[in-house]
Amino acid sequence: MKRNWMKRQQLLGYLFIGPNMLGVVLFFILPAIYSLYLVFTDYKFMAPKMSFIGLDNVKRLLRDEIFYVSLQNTVVFLLAVPISIGLAFLVALALNRKLFFKKTLRALYFMPYITSGVAVAFVWMLLFHPKQGPINAILTSLGVSNPPGWLSTTEYSMLAIDIIWIWFMLGYNMIIYLAALQEISGELLEAAKIDGAKPYQVTYKIVWPLVSPTTFLLMITGLIMTIKTFGIIQAITQGGPGNSTMILSLFVYKNAFRYYEMGYAATISWALFFIIMLITLVQWWGQKRWVHY
Amino acid sequence: MKIITKTSHWWLTILMAFFAIVMILPFVWMFSTSFKTPAQVFEYPVRWLPSQWIWDHHIKVWTGPKSFGTYYINSLKVSLISTVGATLLSAFAAYGFSRIEFKGRNALFVVYLSMMMVPPQVLFVPKFLMFDSWGIYNTHWALILPGMFTIFGVFMMRQFFLSIPNEISESAFIDGAGHIRIFFRLIMPLAKPALATLAIIDFSWHWNDYENALVFLIDESLYTVPLGLQNFILENNVDYNGMMAAASAGIVPMLLVFIIGERFIVQGITNSAVKG
Repeated sequence: MKRNWMKRQQLLGYLFIGPNMLGVVLFFILPAIYSLYLVFTDYKFMAPKMSFIGLDNVKRLLRDEIFYVSLQNTVVFLLAVPISIGLAFLVALALNRKLFFKKTLRALYFMPYITSGVAVAFVWMLLFHPKQGPINAILTSLGVSNPPGWLSTTEYSMLAIDIIWIWFMLGYNMIIYLAALQEISGELLEAAKIDGAKPYQVTYKIVWPLVSPTTFLLMITGLIMTIKTFGIIQAITQGGPGNSTMILSLFVYKNAFRYYEMGYAATISWALFFIIMLITLVQWWGQKRWVHY
Repeated sequence: MKIITKTSHWWLTILMAFFAIVMILPFVWMFSTSFKTPAQVFEYPVRWLPSQWIWDHHIKVWTGPKSFGTYYINSLKVSLISTVGATLLSAFAAYGFSRIEFKGRNALFVVYLSMMMVPPQVLFVPKFLMFDSWGIYNTHWALILPGMFTIFGVFMMRQFFLSIPNEISESAFIDGAGHIRIFFRLIMPLAKPALATLAIIDFSWHWNDYENALVFLIDESLYTVPLGLQNFILENNVDYNGMMAAASAGIVPMLLVFIIGERFIVQGITNSAVKG
């Protein structure tokens, strides 16, 4: 009787998970294995034959100058994450106080996050227009005699991308912080105030440590999400000018679907995977130093 | 004393409202530019409301052989089918992962979670080759079929199902109901808000998805809104008013979804992040 019941449970479990598992196997697990296999081949789309080349793709990657350039740009791109998190914390602190029109304000800050990345990328492209764009017009009127050329120059293009990304992510980070701030007991903060702590001391010594698990979570998810993104960059600069906005995820895309170097593209994509693993591991290791549960 | 706190509320409100307006200025600029004349695009100081509302650019975007109408229909088709499929399949799997005990369940869930670490770039190349051999490359199925499976959705629904007390299904078990009946009659009705949240978030992903469409579609007649937008901008790269009218067309549906479903979106995003 009991055994029968257990068998039924097992069957029902698979019945519920089955349909979804089929998709996960077909669209996640199998392609992942296939991709790993491609790493060891020189497969080019439409090419008549392909052969095993061992670790040649990896060797090629390690010698590829553009790989290092895109690695560097990826790091610069990722810098947007902690900056956006820091700003979001400040906004959340303010919105957590007693304010008028709190819900409307929250919605306004959150708005960029739900809009189409490509559409906003094109808007920013015009805002950053080097000669006549409104951003440079404002800078000029503020007395900047030689405003940067933003997306049209190699020096400032990544900075412009970072600004867009900080703006885009801010609302998401802010919403999560707001939820975390609401969990902090008011009594604790009252007690600190009665003991004579100044507002900035309360923030820095009590609130910031208390929300550190949230900060940790936002860092991990933000870094992983950012490193996977290439849409907005592909849409407005295609990695240029030069290779100044070429990031790793875009580098994969270009090799695969512009040069049809499938084996090589697969290799770069696994490098990307290892970087994601590395970020996660370093974060897990590092959290012991600054995250308080 | 009361007056003092009231004024400080106002000050903070004004300060935060100022920054909030700065946040949405790009949208305001986009809308106003889409109604201006070409000569007014880069006028400075910026005129936030056009002196004269010109509809020509919007008409250009919505008519002709490359009308956004086609892109809208394509996007709606892809997004709606994917979202309905993804929401139901996630709920099914999440029920299995949270409320049925069976051997290997936790190991399987770990496999699911580990797949979240694999970047989509790893999957693009093999999926492209697989879809090509299955004959679904350059069809909407290349977006819809994989779009029906979301690991995030399973994760989010599982969190929700775990929060429903076990007693509820236990009393139904005693009355002789099985898992399938409990799922449809008891759990799904309780999960309506969570399902709505997942559906809205999932829909926004599909609607905004540019990267998959870029990889898997070639024919212009199949383009979804983000691809259509890119195409429009490539072909009209000096028509800044038209570009902004096209960008507005891409953004407005999500703004409407956001205004209607803000509560669900905020709730869902917070729940899945904080409790996850």
